[in-house]
Amino acid sequence: MTVKYQSQKIAQYFYTFAVILFLVQVLVGIIAAIQFIRPDIFILNFNTIRTLHINALVVWLLAGMMGATYYVVPEESETEVWNYPLALFQFWATVVAITLVVLGYIWMGLDPQANKLVLGTQLLNEGREYIEAPRWADGLIVISVLLFLFNMFMTMFKTKKWTGIQGVLLFGLVFLALMYLPGMFYSKNMIKDQFWWWWVIHLWVEGSWEVIAGALLAFMLMKTIGAKREVLEKWMYIEVGLVLFTGILGTGHHYYFIGTPKYWHWIGGFFSSLEPVPLLLMVWDAFRTTREARNVTNKPGLFYTVAHAIFNFVGAGLWGIIHTLPQVNKWTHGTQITTAHGHLAFYGAYVLLVISMIYVTLPSIRGVKDYNPARAYLAFWWMTISMVFIVLTITGAGMVQVYMERLMGLDYVAVKTTYNLWFWILRAIFGVGFLVGVSIFVYDFFKLGREPAKQKA
Amino acid sequence: MSNKAARNLFIFGSLFFFVIFLGLTVDTMNQIDGRAPEVTKEVDAGKMVWQKYDCIGCHTILGNGSYFAPDMTKVVERKPAGYLKQFLMDPRAVKPTAAMPKLGLTSREADDLVAFLTWISKIDTNGWPPKPMLAAAAGVGGKEQTRGQQVYQSQGCSNCHNINGIGGTSGPELTRVGANGKDAAWHVKHLKEPRSVVPNSAMPPYAALSNDDLKSLAAYLVTLK
Repeated sequence: MTVKYQSQKIAQYFYTFAVILFLVQVLVGIIAAIQFIRPDIFILNFNTIRTLHINALVVWLLAGMMGATYYVVPEESETEVWNYPLALFQFWATVVAITLVVLGYIWMGLDPQANKLVLGTQLLNEGREYIEAPRWADGLIVISVLLFLFNMFMTMFKTKKWTGIQGVLLFGLVFLALMYLPGMFYSKNMIKDQFWWWWVIHLWVEGSWEVIAGALLAFMLMKTIGAKREVLEKWMYIEVGLVLFTGILGTGHHYYFIGTPKYWHWIGGFFSSLEPVPLLLMVWDAFRTTREARNVTNKPGLFYTVAHAIFNFVGAGLWGIIHTLPQVNKWTHGTQITTAHGHLAFYGAYVLLVISMIYVTLPSIRGVKDYNPARAYLAFWWMTISMVFIVLTITGAGMVQVYMERLMGLDYVAVKTTYNLWFWILRAIFGVGFLVGVSIFVYDFFKLGREPAKQKA
Repeated sequence: MSNKAARNLFIFGSLFFFVIFLGLTVDTMNQIDGRAPEVTKEVDAGKMVWQKYDCIGCHTILGNGSYFAPDMTKVVERKPAGYLKQFLMDPRAVKPTAAMPKLGLTSREADDLVAFLTWISKIDTNGWPPKPMLAAAAGVGGKEQTRGQQVYQSQGCSNCHNINGIGGTSGPELTRVGANGKDAAWHVKHLKEPRSVVPNSAMPPYAALSNDDLKSLAAYLVTLK
């Protein structure tokens, strides 16, 4: 088994960058978990650590999706990438830009006064959650994404084989790029600031990213099982269609209490309650297709694909719907319940998605037919069990917080430092378990195909 | 359903919902200015301070943010402006157990940030955060309140101080404040002008209270043992 087109191997650069950032994300995540218990434990304050934690997450997932796209589009278009040096340049330019941004965050963390206003915008950290990257970095990110999209479009134009999978994938990526723009201007009014900020955050993770996930799910089921494209693509259209029918107006569940009109309670409540439907459909799709499996050559690839579908539904769907209605959200908004949902949703929907794509495509990139799957499974169980318990501890902390702070009126700090202390300690311990899983995965990533395949376990 | 039909449903259906979303966005944008006071120069400067120090990296505001530190939406209703300013400039000088580090805010920046937080507190948030259901009942237990307890409640002392776990943690706990050896006269003096007995105190003076109220409150405080 090897790649059909040599330029598909560019995916490996992006995967490598992604898994290294994944490791960084989890390391700083553990520091953040300990800071919940001892805020002064580290030279950088919590806000800097948390900025690194969530930015590393976003960047490594995007890098993983870009790598996956560089693999999928040539395969679907049956041709080499239009301009390989351009792809390579785009990769290194992205790495350099991201490194500069990270150094800026650390500098700002050590000396907040270095975050000066230059041309009306902060030099190092914009101070807006998830899109902390300063304006000059926004510009570089846009250029990088435009180069990437241009290269992919030109590749498709070479042969004009318009398949559904690559069409939806590219649609998702263009939508993603467009939805970065509402985060790139300054609003004096904090309500407007938050309103447009949610366009970026929500329409990424509950819009364009899920569309990309739908397309990649179809691709992976086709590759690992050899399922029929016709059927897969039909269900893919229905899934991603439902994602957007529910997800676009579902943005309203962020507009309940930020100063926006009350009609969003109805719109957000109704449409976001339906958001789990397409995710459940994806689970059914994965199982239906898997039942037809005859010759599965890449079992870990399929295993992760199905796990992704399941945990996408559990994390993004179930853990979301429990607090999406305005009557419930009134009490849970801004508590640890949201944190719990965030962790399981990102893990299920996107971390497992990118890891699945890596296991589905990496063997052919490295030119091996067979590899020892033991570490892939071991990593999965370490990561998944740890993450489930991390989420359960944070959910528990959230329930205590809602009851004590919101219902009884106890002080935030009292609840956090006293009543939830054990949850923080347990969370940090499971965090170390997660780090073990990630380390096994990252080790496997570097060893896969570079050692003789052992006897199958 | 054919693949083509499914594809068209996806494309035109998504477009349909996006157009509705855009329409609602326009309507919301038109309503927002009427749902909060005008943004003054100080409020705008305060928002810049909020972003400069990456406050949202620990706090939440309007319920969005990092869940590591208290929500700032209604903070100015619970804490006096003078306290907030002193706290922002040097948290641990005011509250030794504070988790917040000294970030180096200037006096001007602290004023602007308080102006920004005051503006935030006046946004029509559709009733969020809700008033705690049980807090009103806590500490009363069906018994008739003394005059001192009534003053304690009406002045919002529990926003910063707590008694038996009920109340804020910004100021010292008062559960056993009567056991610290200070008499009622000391308390009256302290309430009138905190800095006359506790240098650098961040508590605002309550000199505007009547002498009777001050004495009742002080009498109540010395019973807490």
